[in-house]
Amino acid sequence: MKGKDVLRDNVLLGLGLVLMIAALYLIFIYVPTEREMGVVQRIFYFHVPLAWVGMLAFVFVFIFSILYLWKRAMKWDILAHASAEVGVVFITLVLITGTVWARSIWGVWWTWDARLTATLVLWLTYLAYLLVRNYAAEQTQGARFAAVLGIVGFIDVPIVVLAVNLWRTQHPPALIFEGGITSSMLLTTLMCIAAFTVLYIIIVIQSASMKNLEAEVESLKDI
Amino acid sequence: MKGLFPKVFAIFRKDILLELRTKEVATSILVFALLVLVIFNFAFDPEASTISMVAPGILWVGFTFAGVLGLNRIFATEKENSCFGGLMLCPVDRVVIYWGKLASIFTFILIIEVIITPIFLILFNLPLFIPMLALIIVVATVGFAAVGTLFSALAMNTRARDILLPMVFLPVVVPVIIAGVKATALVLEGRPLGDMAIWFQIMIAFDIIYLVVSALVFEFVIEE
Amino acid sequence: MENMCFLFAAYTIIWAVVFGYVFYLYRKQRKLQQEINLLKEIMNKQK
Repeated sequence: MKGKDVLRDNVLLGLGLVLMIAALYLIFIYVPTEREMGVVQRIFYFHVPLAWVGMLAFVFVFIFSILYLWKRAMKWDILAHASAEVGVVFITLVLITGTVWARSIWGVWWTWDARLTATLVLWLTYLAYLLVRNYAAEQTQGARFAAVLGIVGFIDVPIVVLAVNLWRTQHPPALIFEGGITSSMLLTTLMCIAAFTVLYIIIVIQSASMKNLEAEVESLKDI
Repeated sequence: MKGLFPKVFAIFRKDILLELRTKEVATSILVFALLVLVIFNFAFDPEASTISMVAPGILWVGFTFAGVLGLNRIFATEKENSCFGGLMLCPVDRVVIYWGKLASIFTFILIIEVIITPIFLILFNLPLFIPMLALIIVVATVGFAAVGTLFSALAMNTRARDILLPMVFLPVVVPVIIAGVKATALVLEGRPLGDMAIWFQIMIAFDIIYLVVSALVFEFVIEE
Repeated sequence: MENMCFLFAAYTIIWAVVFGYVFYLYRKQRKLQQEINLLKEIMNKQK
């Protein structure tokens, strides 16, 4: 590995560790307990940043997909794939933590409220993105089809959010986040977003370099 | 631009003629859709009070399943007979193929819906002549067809096309399904057009966006 | 106190999933390394 890369990776890892510890401190010690929901509300501080960074991951999938279809360089496809994987993992966590949170507050595992539902549809869209690569006849076709899905799926996101939100306003809303956001809550949330963004970058770099290696090994096998 | 329409029409005509001759896809889809409607009746107790709430959903589930099945079958026969290869050899812009296929798929799904809807209305004891419902169905079908043409061309070249098509298609068309069900429910309640406007806006926006996007991206799906 | 359990469960799941994913990447990397070593051996033998 090149010296530059090792330095970059170590810096990122160190930064990530520091941010994550700071975030955990803020979540569990610094920020006061919320009045309405009590202690469980602290789930919010991972739940929301995971959603934000997950969406960020899909924004990058969109960008990388366009770049791949345009330039046809393998690296764009690999980056898109890695980003989508991390995105799906994060969104899966959003859904699971959302479920746990809902269960603790309202006693039900799932509500078809606007945000959870839209997140579920988003999750399904990018799950299909990952699966299409397996079903394709061969690698480059899989990359091409995935790129198409990365573009089409992303454009769908605002439409789905709009439609689901309208759909839910016809029924009594199940969730309202009472009370405003205090500055301490904001700080905690931002710190967590930063920590997860760095985590995202670390994993994408790691995953991408590994996929690169995989591709090299495959081509070596053919010799 | 001038020579565009005849080429699109040629592709469209070929598909329609083929289907008219064999009728194999249409009949199976129709029977399937009918079965879906009937089975849903067993799923929900047809009491008068609740049935009006579930009826729109049942109709659109029927449309969706029939649509997915139809898309699968259309492209499956294409693939089996290597028609697509022949189509690719033609010196036409890839987009032309998209528009041609879109036209025939749209017509196809629309015909199926036109036949299913009266049967649905009868089974659920609803008035038979509802022009607003027809409008909703047409607008929604444009969206279905725009996305469906793209994705079935995509799934056609993969190993497990029967599973893959619904998997990619359904999440993307969720807005159309939501809008279709909501608008249909409002129509059956007898609400004025103003209430439904927002759902029409969503469907039309979806249609326009996806007509453009799918046409642009189609060439990447069918390239060799 | 019961709510604490939910909080604990949520954070545990997050930790477990992220750790699981990283571990999955790590395992794939080890497998790749093994493959590379194998290929190197084969190529050496052919010399």
